[in-house]
Amino acid sequence: MKVPTTFGQYVPIESPVHSLDAKVKLGLVAAFTVALFMVDGFPGLGALGAATVAAVAISRVPWRIAVRGVKTVLVILLFTLIVHALRFDAATVALVRIGPVSIDSGGLRTGLFFVTRIVLLVVGTSLLTLTTTPVQLTDAIERLLRPLERFGFPAGDVAMMLTIALRFIPTTAAEAEKIVVAQTARGARFREGGLLARARAYVPVLVPLFVNLFRRAEDLATAMEARCYRGGVGRTRLHPAVMGAGDWAVLCCASVGLIALGVLL
Amino acid sequence: MTESRTRILTEIALTIALAAVLNALKLWRMPQGGTISLVMLPLFVLAVRRGPIVGLVAGALYGVVDFLIDPYPPVHWAQYLLDYPVAYLMCGLAGIAAPAWRNAVERGRQARAVWTSVVPAIALGATARWGVHWLSGVVFFGAYAPEGQPVWLYSLVYNSYVPLSAILCATAALAVLPVLSRVVPVAGSRQG
Repeated sequence: MKVPTTFGQYVPIESPVHSLDAKVKLGLVAAFTVALFMVDGFPGLGALGAATVAAVAISRVPWRIAVRGVKTVLVILLFTLIVHALRFDAATVALVRIGPVSIDSGGLRTGLFFVTRIVLLVVGTSLLTLTTTPVQLTDAIERLLRPLERFGFPAGDVAMMLTIALRFIPTTAAEAEKIVVAQTARGARFREGGLLARARAYVPVLVPLFVNLFRRAEDLATAMEARCYRGGVGRTRLHPAVMGAGDWAVLCCASVGLIALGVLL
Repeated sequence: MTESRTRILTEIALTIALAAVLNALKLWRMPQGGTISLVMLPLFVLAVRRGPIVGLVAGALYGVVDFLIDPYPPVHWAQYLLDYPVAYLMCGLAGIAAPAWRNAVERGRQARAVWTSVVPAIALGATARWGVHWLSGVVFFGAYAPEGQPVWLYSLVYNSYVPLSAILCATAALAVLPVLSRVVPVAGSRQG
């Protein structure tokens, strides 16, 4: 059994897209998604496709990685295309006919429209997680949720929990790997037997993992309180993410441009 | 913020981290999303130790983290909400066993309580999660049902990885919970 040591999709390179504030990127993804569902023809999709290509090029994320998400929805894409293009009606004026099945040009066009829209949605939204670290995203979510604190929503605590969770995923994975290696050396077999047998084989790994988890939680809480942690309200940051003039300009211009594309095309 | 609240906060955070690691150890991955894994185990364990509120919070936040680190591109924002935060939130319902479990630990009757309280509570949490994925499947993926098969049945069968995972989680919880109650009791004092 191999415990993965890398989590998340972030591609650590320097680019103008990487250096944009995470809140700006969240706003742009929202505007892009709205525009994508507003356009009702191929010219609109073409314009949004060009915007996506430009964004990926500026981000310097390798194309192989940028389109990786499309592979996971391949089944959905194929199904969408087939369901729109295939006809079983003999009266249909078909583009191609094989026995009782035919491909109708109108259906094919509709299928291609939906497939293109899904591909753009996947590539466009993937760019957010490819160019933003989970911690930056968490900070942005906290900032966006902060107005809810007036109504008693603990935005600061939520952000703290998400930050600690993301920070400790690699530590927990490394610890799991260490225990797995130790138990394998003692003769544990994780790949033999059925699902139930495998789950039982995990028990000698899970017990120390859980014990360490709750002990670490206790130590961490003590350490936080020793440093005067008293909840998220009013908490300041060593490196606050402040939106600069450039961030505001990109957010305003690109959002307006995207929504205008959606309305006009 | 009291001492116990900070500890609950860190327990939730580290539980989410462990769930993310266990989710990466996939035993089986479905073509349109969903895995057979032990991902629900930490959420169930925390819920049984700390109660339903803590369990629900941990579940919902895990749904957010899962989407941040291992996203399956959603087809609609409502589908994202259902298949991530809402579905995992349901695991927190296992927390209804918390009072009975605490009582059993105090009386030293954990062996009986795991069967009478914990396993039914895990079944409840898993069934609720299954229900949410089922609803999402009916609404958003009904078009993938084979011809002639009712959409509700297709979604029920497709999402059967949830009860399978729950059986594995319950099996592991039987071993993990009694040890935790001895070594790291909820009150906070270490005995092991």
